[in-house]
Amino acid sequence: MSSELERVVTVVPEAGLHARPAATFVETVTDADSDVQIAHATDDDDDLTPAASMIAVTSLGVEHGEEIRIVADGPDAAATLDALERVLTTPEDELGGENATATDADATTDTNA
Amino acid sequence: MTDTLTRNRIETLAPTDHISLEPPTADKRGYIEFLLDLLVGAGRVEDRETALQALLAREEETTTGVGMGIGIPHAQTDAVTEPSVAVTRSDDGVDFGAMDDEPARLLFMILVPESGADDHLAILSTLSRALMHDEVRQNLYDAETPDDVQAVLKEAVA
Repeated sequence: MSSELERVVTVVPEAGLHARPAATFVETVTDADSDVQIAHATDDDDDLTPAASMIAVTSLGVEHGEEIRIVADGPDAAATLDALERVLTTPEDELGGENATATDADATTDTNA
Repeated sequence: MTDTLTRNRIETLAPTDHISLEPPTADKRGYIEFLLDLLVGAGRVEDRETALQALLAREEETTTGVGMGIGIPHAQTDAVTEPSVAVTRSDDGVDFGAMDDEPARLLFMILVPESGADDHLAILSTLSRALMHDEVRQNLYDAETPDDVQAVLKEAVA
């Protein structure tokens, strides 16, 4: 079963969606079974960009406190959004190397949402 | 959302003496030092060692190999006098540890003073957005002189 879900999340890390938070974000996306796209919350659908690409995520220039929109489409869409929201709302100094990567996504929420 | 750069800013950020199409054969660290030395040679860096440590610390956090054959080592450090970009190319590609495993063939260094966080993000995002286009990357591969490279960048950010 495939389902498209989306969520708007405010970016917490001080440096924005950049460096380690960005890398963790992209890793979480690539490890998920869903296709994920992101854009600024104020952007149109046309501006959605592949979230599995580091350069695409970097190109958004997302700053601390900014809202971004995440769209996930696939069997684990809900769990993927939960995992990505966790990455985006964890201050950078609490973002452990392995703690927030996609292995968590598999283990956390159920996928029947 | 961050600002974009204007065409004119490219000339200030990356004058042609920041651009070299004759890099040595080197590993990632070697390329970082090569790009840094372009900025040192152009008089933009007051303290090479401090700048290098800032760049390496940033790589330590996570690689700046952003995929699609692009590496963008960058740092904010007061070792640099003004926002600066250096550019080089690697014909064979250099392993930047990118998630897509593609070796970096286009390399950009961004150094911005500590106070310039917004500028830093604006330069990084503008460059990334431009480099996502196949045509821009191809034009950079095809460029024969630093002037060509600068012209492609000016066109790409406009």
